[in-house]
Amino acid sequence: MLNGADLIHQMAEGDAEAFARFYDRYAPLIYPLILRILPDAGDAADCLQDVFWDARQRARTYDPARGTAEAWVVTHARARAIERMRGARRRRDSGRRGSPVVPSAASPPGALDRSLLSRVFERLPDPQREALELAYYGGLTQTEITARLKQPLGTVKTRLRLALERLREIVRPA
Amino acid sequence: MSASHEPYDTFAALHAVGALDGDDLREFETHLATGCARCATLVRQTEQALARAAMAGPPEPPPGGVRERLVRRAGAAPGRPRWLAWTVGLIAAAVAAGAFSAAYVAARYEARLGQMAREASAAKQRLAQSEAALHDELNLLRDPTTRLVELHGQTGAAGAVARVLLTEKAGGLLLATKLPLPPPGKVYALWTVAGDSPRVAGVFVPDDGGRATLKVPPEATGAPVRVLSVTLEPEGGAQAPTGAVVLAPR
Repeated sequence: MLNGADLIHQMAEGDAEAFARFYDRYAPLIYPLILRILPDAGDAADCLQDVFWDARQRARTYDPARGTAEAWVVTHARARAIERMRGARRRRDSGRRGSPVVPSAASPPGALDRSLLSRVFERLPDPQREALELAYYGGLTQTEITARLKQPLGTVKTRLRLALERLREIVRPA
Repeated sequence: MSASHEPYDTFAALHAVGALDGDDLREFETHLATGCARCATLVRQTEQALARAAMAGPPEPPPGGVRERLVRRAGAAPGRPRWLAWTVGLIAAAVAAGAFSAAYVAARYEARLGQMAREASAAKQRLAQSEAALHDELNLLRDPTTRLVELHGQTGAAGAVARVLLTEKAGGLLLATKLPLPPPGKVYALWTVAGDSPRVAGVFVPDDGGRATLKVPPEATGAPVRVLSVTLEPEGGAQAPTGAVVLAPR
């Protein structure tokens, strides 16, 4: 079976079959992430389509030495979804001046919650998981998390650093 | 590399998750532009870890129709990126965005120009440093008193090799290959023994490929060096070797 890097290489050569296989392999894995960030199914579907089209267009720029195919597509999917969520947030904010909306990353959408929560994130202590979810799924910066959690900036930085250190240990390849 | 590398470890982790902002972000981008291998590695490792974590949940069938639309579009589109169409589209979008909010676009470009200026300045500084380092290395090779010491990997670093060019007056240079990345919070330290007690000649972390270069300052030699070794030490440094010997002469 071709690995992800091979498929990307073939995609870069314009191989439509490789593109379809790349989608079949990774779409079911990254769609939960997109849904976690964009709970509206229509938005999530549009974003998913953008992500894979981008992947096809950017395939030539993929460098296996800089990371796995999985990380490449997941990192881009997350960035695309956050970008779309921020756009929606800006539009909402401009519609109701003076009441900025902070996404509810720590309180995810209803029915899909349990199945979409990453099992790995659940292994983190609550304060660390909360800060990391706000950053990763909510797209909030350290300053925004500080305001959201009403905690000092130093505390937020420490929680995020510890969460990410622990995360690296949990998912380290055997 | 030294104890002062903190807060960049924290910045690197936060940067990978997109949480860094304000002065911290500007400081880290400038630092990263100097070519810090440790930070580049940390960012990459954290991104990889986040990707693995994000994909650890159960898969979810993607919505119907997306695959068909993509495949149809890919079949209709040429294999090469349609850069001309994209460029025209981007320009049209930029013009529309400019008409809609010129101030916003200007602010973004100013920020980008500022970032490019910082990166150019850092690149210039890096080039000057590289040129100076190359000059020193050539002088070291020209010096008839320079001697070469080979260090070999010990337990935990089998296969690693370091060559140390050493002079009594002008210091020296360590060039290492195939070194594993030290665990978090640890660095490698080069020790020289010229008198009775060892002196630390510098600490370092290899890049992704296991390569490391360390300039040995003249004060670390000064007298005929009898022993050289590399140990694993806490990031804050140590007055005397405390950790496992990683590289030593045969």
